[in-house]
Amino acid sequence: MLQKKICMLGGFAVGKTSLVRRFVQSIFSETYLTTVGVKIDKKSVAFPDKTVDLILWDLAGEDDIGSFRVSYVRGATGLVLVVDGTRPATLAVALTLRERVEAEFGAMPFVLLFNKSDLADRWAIPDGEIDELRQLGWQIYLTSALSGAYVEDAFRQLASMVAK
Amino acid sequence: MHGLPREVRSWIFNFFYNEHAVAYLKIDAQLCIAAKGGNVKHYGLSSLRTGKPVADQLDFMEGLLPCPELPYHMAMVELPSGRVADLHLFAADNACVWLLFLDATAERDNRQRLQQKAYEMTLLQERERQLNEKLQSTNEALRESQEGLSREYQRAETLLLNILPASIAQRLKAQEQIADNHAEVSVLFADIVGFTERALSVGAVTTLAILNYFFKAADLLSEEYGCEKIKTIGDCVMVVAGLPVARSDHAEALAHYALELREVGRRERFAGEPLRLRIGIHSGPIVAGVIGNRRFAYDLWGDTVNLAARIQKSAEPDEIRISDATHKLLGPNFARDPLGETELRGTGRVRMWRLRA
Repeated sequence: MLQKKICMLGGFAVGKTSLVRRFVQSIFSETYLTTVGVKIDKKSVAFPDKTVDLILWDLAGEDDIGSFRVSYVRGATGLVLVVDGTRPATLAVALTLRERVEAEFGAMPFVLLFNKSDLADRWAIPDGEIDELRQLGWQIYLTSALSGAYVEDAFRQLASMVAK
Repeated sequence: MHGLPREVRSWIFNFFYNEHAVAYLKIDAQLCIAAKGGNVKHYGLSSLRTGKPVADQLDFMEGLLPCPELPYHMAMVELPSGRVADLHLFAADNACVWLLFLDATAERDNRQRLQQKAYEMTLLQERERQLNEKLQSTNEALRESQEGLSREYQRAETLLLNILPASIAQRLKAQEQIADNHAEVSVLFADIVGFTERALSVGAVTTLAILNYFFKAADLLSEEYGCEKIKTIGDCVMVVAGLPVARSDHAEALAHYALELREVGRRERFAGEPLRLRIGIHSGPIVAGVIGNRRFAYDLWGDTVNLAARIQKSAEPDEIRISDATHKLLGPNFARDPLGETELRGTGRVRMWRLRA
């Protein structure tokens, strides 16, 4: 059995819990409910040659990055970095969290999600900035936990990366 | 144990054990569950099987063992049962580890309530700031288009002032009909001697340069002497003194103007030739007004205007010819020669004078 621990990382209220709920249970709630500590979910991703069980660690998104407890990430093989596309500052938060995790546990595969793509009129991340990150070879998705757009794709991509 | 009396120790132990629903697992070197105990039922873990791998039975243990940094603590992990536990891993004998469960459900719920309020507040503030920024940039854009509009307005204003005297433009903007009687003004006509013939011989570019020079000079002198250039007709310019604001020295102002204009013509050479002018002045009452309402023209009408034009036509090259009426208004500073009475077309015999340099 192929079982992989994946950590959801990002600032508060970017949609980590909603993305996990959309991916695991195919539901979305408009109500914002903050996460304290960690909630763990599991979802199987099937490929033609194998099936990967993703153990998803939905970590609390801290207001203050300094208080983030890196120790939760121990044993993880991949990261889902989540950015709120309507709040530009959350990009820096996601990238900083990744740096802190890599400093502790070394580099690991990740996907970068610009979430809330349904809020087109409040979108605040320039296309050029996203393209620049793509140039680095990063796997980037413009997701919507509300509509489900690209959520499955992003998790499948990460599953294929960690299963190698 | 810390020298506490037995009953106190016992009480603390019981209190903590019940309050935190203490449960434990022992995990062996093969990462299988070696033993379990305490309040495992509280966490819904009664069905855990000893001798089987822990990571297959508890998802959150995936990847955690072997753990190089013991003791290891993870706060507030929500288990599938919905209970929230603080998890403690610490070393046991024979390369085994203990996994301790301490209930933290109430603490998590409390903190969640506080954090919910705090984050919602922060989100609202962020949203407010974003909206303010948007408002500001909208205001900025509005201000810029207002400035553009006001620049356009000023340009239109400047254009209007170029074709109309300022006070007339002002009244026109107030939708006023403009037709004023002016009892005492002087009217001047001036044109270039032999212009039509010269235009044919020097070509269009030089012709345009000549007219440009002549009319620009007429404009500049108008400002200098407080006269108004009313219009140009071909190579002829029409200038008036004494309006829109009346002045008693209108004849003298226009005499100065005429003398200076003639000098300006003499100074410049076009295709080797100076500009020689023919100038005529007459003084008297006129009617001034604006005609048209899309393409405005401020103009003068009356016998005074007609006679001034006739006098100009009768003037010799380089001559400034003035009517008797203008002559009578000029002071002794202006030297002039009598020309006697001359027959002018449509007017009869007219007494005229020549203004000397």
